[in-house]
Amino acid sequence: MLRGWNIVAVCLVLAACAPAKPVIDEQMMRIDGEMPADLSGSWERDYSRGDDVNQVLRDIYYYLSRTSADRAYTTRPGPVQPSSRDMQSISALARLAELITRPQVLTISQNDHEIAVDRKDDFSLLCAFYDGIAKGTESAYGTEICGWDGDQLVSHLVLPDGLQVTHRFTASADRQQLRVVTTVSSNTARVPVTLSRFYRKFERLPPDFNCIETLSMKRVCSTGEIEF
Amino acid sequence: MSIRARFLLLAATGVLLQFPATAHARDVAALNVSISVFDPGVPDDRSLHRDLQIFPRIRDVEAKFLPFVLRETLVATGEWGAVRVVTEPDDAAEIAISGSIVHSDGERLELRVRAVDATGRLWFDRNFTARLADTDSRSGMTDGGSAYQSLYDGVARALREARQQLDGRELERITEISLLRYAAELAPSAFGQYLVEGEPGEYALRRLPARSDPMLDRIERIRLTEYVITDTVDAKFRDLHEEIASTYALWREYRRKSVEYDRQNARRAEDTRLDAPRGSYDAIRNLYDNYKWDRVTAQERDRLAIAFNNEVGPVVEAMEARIAELESWVDEKYAEWRGLLEELFEVETELNKAAP
Repeated sequence: MLRGWNIVAVCLVLAACAPAKPVIDEQMMRIDGEMPADLSGSWERDYSRGDDVNQVLRDIYYYLSRTSADRAYTTRPGPVQPSSRDMQSISALARLAELITRPQVLTISQNDHEIAVDRKDDFSLLCAFYDGIAKGTESAYGTEICGWDGDQLVSHLVLPDGLQVTHRFTASADRQQLRVVTTVSSNTARVPVTLSRFYRKFERLPPDFNCIETLSMKRVCSTGEIEF
Repeated sequence: MSIRARFLLLAATGVLLQFPATAHARDVAALNVSISVFDPGVPDDRSLHRDLQIFPRIRDVEAKFLPFVLRETLVATGEWGAVRVVTEPDDAAEIAISGSIVHSDGERLELRVRAVDATGRLWFDRNFTARLADTDSRSGMTDGGSAYQSLYDGVARALREARQQLDGRELERITEISLLRYAAELAPSAFGQYLVEGEPGEYALRRLPARSDPMLDRIERIRLTEYVITDTVDAKFRDLHEEIASTYALWREYRRKSVEYDRQNARRAEDTRLDAPRGSYDAIRNLYDNYKWDRVTAQERDRLAIAFNNEVGPVVEAMEARIAELESWVDEKYAEWRGLLEELFEVETELNKAAP
């Protein structure tokens, strides 16, 4: 089992070291007509599946101990302990990845030109297409772009100091399961940290009331049509 | 049908005889003012709306709502004639005010306002800005757009100052040209020759019709009829103002808070910039949180905009439907009046020719 994880970790690291290919290229930011996949619905975390952050850290440690640049300066055979600075940076990324992927429920709404992933205690990931082209969000604090890689929705956030967060959302063929792969990387860490989370679709109970948000009365509900 | 019979038939239509003509003298300085619904200032490129924090449907409401506040300000000065809010620019108005919303959040309102008289003379075309005073925001204003009263007072002042540049004769000329422009639109055969257009949009009098001209009298009566409808439309803007003022005040208050949150986010980002060693959990968490709070604030703004639309939308739609009915009636009547007047002019000309 451990070996399997190592392969995954190594693949991820190799991918990270490959020539700089944008996470989202122009092609991915274009849609021709409908969205490539329907991710809409309410999704509940499946705790029986997905990555354990401590295991991911152990895998990275194992990988670094065999590929560390420090090996060049030692004649001692076998693994070399990665530097504590390396491990601190990576463990910081892992903590952040764990924090970002914590939401128990995701609510995804989608129409022809917009898809929104609502997460509790975090901002919603929003991917809006205008005339078929994804429009990013840019602020003084970061830049967010999105697109479709086949039937995967990709959201990529670039923050100062080279900190980057990428989410890939993939629905199973029967649309009952959702996999979210989150990668966090930074200029200060040698390898990125990737965590997979799995969600199961659930149906919210149909509401007994029609409710809408208003400014003066907050949430207004009625069994019939709402009139002011 | 004989000429006389056609004349009697047309005169008997009644529409032209409902109101007495305005023969009474009026204060030439108290010009009538038409304020058209503002341009909402929404860029065509939808992809820019989020970045610019522009909510098109709310801007549409503001474009209808804010002219009414300006109207109330001008009426309160007691220095003007009838002040009306109209849905379309009124080219023949004695004073036509148009405007566009340049910026509107909870803290600052900026309007570009243009005032032109009936001769085509530009009174002013400039931006007016007002910031919500701290005292206002603390007291929780509930009367809608008047929180920016200094802006409307500024427009009223600019209007007064522009008028002061004109003498009595020039002011009188504005009312004359206003009526003749209206007349020329309605009955071009009869009134087209009284005005001369110099520069595009600038009009001068070539000559005046006789005071006893029955056609002019009819035109004045029709204009009065149209004013009755315009006043009904204007009353709809008053209703809208009354119905949504408190919700709009709430929206503005939320927008003001949102601007304040933006400032807090900026302060927080600056304060935590050097708090933790580079690459540490605290450092990257700060970077993530800075972005997160900025987005949360923006998304809360979007949510409130939807809540505003939910609440105000039905009121605005009902008002628009009623105004559309009234305007459609006016358009129909206008075409009818126009046809009748042209025919009357023709009949009268023939009668005059036939007279010994």
